[in-house]
Amino acid sequence: MTRILLSRMEAHPSDSHTLARYEATGGYAPLRKALGMAPEDIVAEVKAANLRGRGGASFPCGVKWGFLAPAEPRYLVINADESEPGTFKDRQLLERDPHQLLEGIIISSFALGVHHAFVYVRGEYPRPARRIQAAIDEAYAAGYLGADVAGSGYSLDVTVHLGGGAYICGEETALLNSLEGRRGEPRIKPPFPAVEGLYAKPTIVNNVETISNIPWIVEHGGAAYDAIGPEGSRGTKLFSLSGHVRKPGNYELVMGMSWREMIYDIGGGIRDGNALKAWIPGGASAPWFVEEHLDTPVTIDDIASNLSMIGSGAIVVMDETTCMVKAALRVVRFFSHESCGQCTPCREGTTWLQQVLTRLEAGDGRDIDLDLLLDISDNISPGLAWPPGMTTICPLGPSAVSPITSLAKYFKDEVVAHVHEGGCPLA
Amino acid sequence: MTWSRATETRAAAILARYPEKRSAVMPLLYLAMAEEGGDLTEDGMRRVAELTGLSAAQVQAVASFYTMYKRDGVGRYLVSVCTSISCMLCGGDEVLDAVADETGVPDGETGEDGLFSVEHVECIGACGGAPAVQVNYELVEGVTPEQARSLCRWLAEQRPETVVGDDLQERFGGQRSFDWGPEEAEGATGPVPAFGPLGTTGERS
Amino acid sequence: MPSQPDLVTFTVDGKEAQVPAGTLLIEAVKAAGVHIPHFCYHPRMKPVGMCRMCLVQVEGPRGMMLGTSCTMPVTEGMVVHTDTDTVAKAQEGVLEFLLLNHPLDCPVCDRGGECPLQDQTMAAGPGESRFVEEKRHYPKPIPISDLVLLDRERCILCARCTRFSDEISGDPLIEFKDRGNATQVNTFPDEPFASYFSGNTVQICPVGALTATPYRFRARPWDLEAVESTCPHCSVGCRISVQASRNEALRFLGVDNGPVNQGWLCDKGRFGFEFLNSGDRLDTPLVRDEDGDLVEASWAEALDRAAAGLSAAAAEGPGRLAGLGGARSTNEEAYAFGRFVRETLGSNHLDAQLGDGLDPRVLAGITPRAAIDDLERARTVLVWAPDLKEELPVLYLRVRRAATELGANLVVVHPRATGLDPVATHTLRYRPGAGTEMLRRLADGSGDLAAVRAALDEGPVVAIIGRPGLGDDPRLAEAVMAFAAGLPDAAVLPVTRRSNVYGAADMGLAPTLLPGRVANDAPGRDAAGILEGLASGDLGGLVLLGSDPATDYVEPQQAAAALDAAGFTVAIDLFLTPSAAKADVVLPALGFAETEGTVTNLEGRVQKVNRLLPGPGSARPAHEILEDLARRMGGSIGAASAEALAAEIAGTAPAYAGITWEALSWGAGREGIVAPGPEGSQPLAVAPEDHAPPPAARDLVLHQARVLYDRGTLTQAGPSLAKLAKEPAAYVHPEDATRFGIKAGAAVRLTGSGGSAELPVVLDPSLVAGTVYVPLHLGAALGAGLEISMEAVT
Repeated sequence: MTRILLSRMEAHPSDSHTLARYEATGGYAPLRKALGMAPEDIVAEVKAANLRGRGGASFPCGVKWGFLAPAEPRYLVINADESEPGTFKDRQLLERDPHQLLEGIIISSFALGVHHAFVYVRGEYPRPARRIQAAIDEAYAAGYLGADVAGSGYSLDVTVHLGGGAYICGEETALLNSLEGRRGEPRIKPPFPAVEGLYAKPTIVNNVETISNIPWIVEHGGAAYDAIGPEGSRGTKLFSLSGHVRKPGNYELVMGMSWREMIYDIGGGIRDGNALKAWIPGGASAPWFVEEHLDTPVTIDDIASNLSMIGSGAIVVMDETTCMVKAALRVVRFFSHESCGQCTPCREGTTWLQQVLTRLEAGDGRDIDLDLLLDISDNISPGLAWPPGMTTICPLGPSAVSPITSLAKYFKDEVVAHVHEGGCPLA
Repeated sequence: MTWSRATETRAAAILARYPEKRSAVMPLLYLAMAEEGGDLTEDGMRRVAELTGLSAAQVQAVASFYTMYKRDGVGRYLVSVCTSISCMLCGGDEVLDAVADETGVPDGETGEDGLFSVEHVECIGACGGAPAVQVNYELVEGVTPEQARSLCRWLAEQRPETVVGDDLQERFGGQRSFDWGPEEAEGATGPVPAFGPLGTTGERS
Repeated sequence: MPSQPDLVTFTVDGKEAQVPAGTLLIEAVKAAGVHIPHFCYHPRMKPVGMCRMCLVQVEGPRGMMLGTSCTMPVTEGMVVHTDTDTVAKAQEGVLEFLLLNHPLDCPVCDRGGECPLQDQTMAAGPGESRFVEEKRHYPKPIPISDLVLLDRERCILCARCTRFSDEISGDPLIEFKDRGNATQVNTFPDEPFASYFSGNTVQICPVGALTATPYRFRARPWDLEAVESTCPHCSVGCRISVQASRNEALRFLGVDNGPVNQGWLCDKGRFGFEFLNSGDRLDTPLVRDEDGDLVEASWAEALDRAAAGLSAAAAEGPGRLAGLGGARSTNEEAYAFGRFVRETLGSNHLDAQLGDGLDPRVLAGITPRAAIDDLERARTVLVWAPDLKEELPVLYLRVRRAATELGANLVVVHPRATGLDPVATHTLRYRPGAGTEMLRRLADGSGDLAAVRAALDEGPVVAIIGRPGLGDDPRLAEAVMAFAAGLPDAAVLPVTRRSNVYGAADMGLAPTLLPGRVANDAPGRDAAGILEGLASGDLGGLVLLGSDPATDYVEPQQAAAALDAAGFTVAIDLFLTPSAAKADVVLPALGFAETEGTVTNLEGRVQKVNRLLPGPGSARPAHEILEDLARRMGGSIGAASAEALAAEIAGTAPAYAGITWEALSWGAGREGIVAPGPEGSQPLAVAPEDHAPPPAARDLVLHQARVLYDRGTLTQAGPSLAKLAKEPAAYVHPEDATRFGIKAGAAVRLTGSGGSAELPVVLDPSLVAGTVYVPLHLGAALGAGLEISMEAVT
């Protein structure tokens, strides 16, 4: 069983979050190694690792780093605003192995020429915030942060910033606005953060899990990371399993297994001996999978070629007792609630979708409502294609379309039954 | 208006740790809430505006964007029940009903005695331990409707000064998203997330 | 000069066009005759791509990309489609989304008939709504200030108003609130949208969400007549559209004159139109009867009386008569007034200013003189002048833009905090009377002023210079100008406030000038000298043209006494001002929007004003009145018509050669034409001069400056602005308050050179200790002297 991210907490459940345990298990040795390397060589190792971003978009981390503009100062911002329904992996990394993340931050900052890094932790995560803060405090005391990092002369400060309750701040430009003390509204791109980010300075925004991989990559080399897992899905990935599986939880896995293995072996199968109905393969934004996908492989690219996405690695499993209209409504409600409201199609469209679905679920649907839902969706995400087109500024609006298209594709009969039976046929 | 000396000192430390003052708005809003027992008042927003050089309208624009800055009053115990997709699948709606029924406070409201505020919330990152509840942002996972009732009764009877997640989990929780590791004693003293430093480097002189 | 940007060639809907590189697509397509609908985009604000109405398709490496044309700069070879099915569907979708929650109250909406949302819906909107759910509801319009109402149901959340307030005017008092579908525009509770620029948000609102109380329910757009003109309120000369119905002015709108106001107006300009409709306008001549009362008279009777009185005074000897005024007239009227005083009255005692401005030779002859638009290129802006936000608000916007958007250094020197301070790089404060010392230190640039001096040494420099307050000697301003003129690549904008004071100087309404910026070899008396002469009896009579020295002279009480003592006075005015009330004959004149002519703003830009309204009663154009008077006195000033006067000006005033009405009425001439400076321009030859010795540290000095909404005649003549004037107060430095044992809110008695007043105290730490600030024209008349005494009132 390959372990990169969870090994320490699995081996040392009582104190994996402490500096003492971290150092005792080889921690901060990669930092010392990195401080002896040329920054560009570290970037090269990360590129060679083919580590893809773990926040949802799967963008290659090293490539992103390569876009960083030369202007000073530059910033590294860790996106710990984990809020995608179904996702709880970063929370575990923050609580149980914060030094692993912090070492990743220090190495990455050094590699990128950053002297001030921020960890943007969602407001509803006080405990993870306390743990990463405690790790930072320990690191300052031990000389891993501050004016002279590990005696190298390199200086770095790290600030934990608590969010205020807004999923959209997981979108990196919204996060930067939020960190600047503004409404968490996504920015028009370009310019991308690597060119104009925090305070309009070059900025890299990376996910917690992504950066937690960095110490291992520096220690073992990019090639070693690139040797793990199938092409396009290198390294290990944390999957968050939830919903109607017997064994929900976070799993660090090398990708490439089938969905059948994921749900029935790793997840322990469906609770109460029920039958599987559908699952969301990569967080609430992802189009749903159904039985026909069970034997497709779990890799970033295979999920994409089957017209969904790995996203943050959140797998939400729904069994046969689940009302699909209600499930779709719950996901759409989420996006409507989390829409920042600045652009018209998302603000108005997601709410309209929610209103129509609410009527449908309550048994007040009309025959035309499914077509109406699809046309509203089309006006948010033209063509209803995957990857989604968008009339919006950011992908939040199109994310609300995923459950609608999934409903229409796999559960049209159930929608129609809601209209004709005046409510849910399962009730 | 100004705050207590201790709060003003903290505010100054928070301001010092950002390259630009405006960045301190969100932590200062939490400070304003903590100063006034949980509510974000107009005076609190005005003080944040003074400290950051923004207009009060700009501070309100930020505060009202986020769900955790409670501007319409909030109880001593803010009970947040997750009803997002994973928790919904595992009975979050029933937990919410139980909490509302037990406290007598409907979803989205604050009780007249100011003890409880009840709200349904979107995903709080506890899907592996669904359904999940937070009390003053301290988490309990794997909560059944009955446990939720017990939790509310316990809060009403014990009126704990500090709400500690590990303690709640021990008493009322079940299935967890993952092994939480060793228990910690830090917790929330009001409906503001218990994150002591609200930042870091500025307070280390 | 910045280099011209390269041109790029692109294709839109199959048509090729060329535009400068970097042009936003939404603007660029106009070159090909294509229009893209939009709501949030405004050419004078940064694009935000929020409404999504301007979606187009652009061909890219991965096929057709849908994007907002307001956020995409054109690049070479770009192929753009605005007419595909995809674009049409996307735009129709956005429109439908915008209409979901929009109320169907167009018939009772002020915007109806000129509403971009309504127009777009009529052109391309859905026939009927598919929306059967409940619409968003808010209480119908809520007042967010004394002037502006907000209807959140109509709002489409384009953020034009909030962006204007934050980005352009710098007073972000309205903002988004809440989020998602609950997002609304609002103010902070108890903090109204009290911006000097709030009316701009009403004008740029693409729906009827923001409406202005002065115009609300007054007219439908299709009932309005309009002419383009130039705002009469200050010397910036903002371009406006005057709109009226049934001979009543109903609103002014900003017109985007790029070099001047860029579309914006201040609220005083925008809502100040109400004075035109005031019931207090003079509509018939008045003459003083045997009892000493002013009574109505026929024009013939009044003109006869005026001519007789003036002729009698003139007969007493040469130079017995004088003229004051013309700073609010058109150039044509001012020119006629100059000829009347010089030729008919035979006098060189002539002044358009009232002791509160600058030497007219400076106004007319400063070189190198800056244009407002030089602010677009300035590296450094020096403002040592009145608080521009209070006195020349749209110039404040232009300077603010230079300092924020364009990144210029901004140095503000003033006795207290000004509206520009929040965006200034450096702010310097001094006590009135100690300005020369401040200038010496600044020129020296050592110590703590080194950084300021370094900023000033970065050219191009635009120096905006005037008298910050009444207590500042005009020679200080001249010394500052001489200093500024020596800065690298510097140009100077001399600042005084009255709308056409520059035109008046150019027309020779000054003791030292003849028309066309020509020196008068036989200078007469200035305003101070004229008033002294009237009081002493050295002068026998006076003609006032739109001038109210009893209110506006720096020592109003002296002026009032002089007018009382004057042998014979004729007042030509729109209102029975305190000065006119002392005249022997009062002749009602037509005013703004009632006459045609030209005006000259502070940069020397000549612009047209046009006629739309008949004016009250039998009021007549001032030049006609003057010509009739001249004829009755046995002469003529040749003022057959305003247009004939304009032709004469263009012929006799060198700076105005070629600036004809014709040239100003068409094409680029509508932006106005800057009258060229004197030939062979030479630096201002004024040496810094120690005028008054700086006051001793223990003494209190008085700083008096204007505020936008005061108790002036024009402001008070309209109900909307009249109520905005604040109560007068004494602004005292906290140290002085401690020294005098007074607290904020307590009353003090201030006694100055020209009067005494009891005022509440406001603490103002932005003053230099030892200074007391009292806003002018709010009711406390203290005189112009620097020294002031203060005592607590118990």
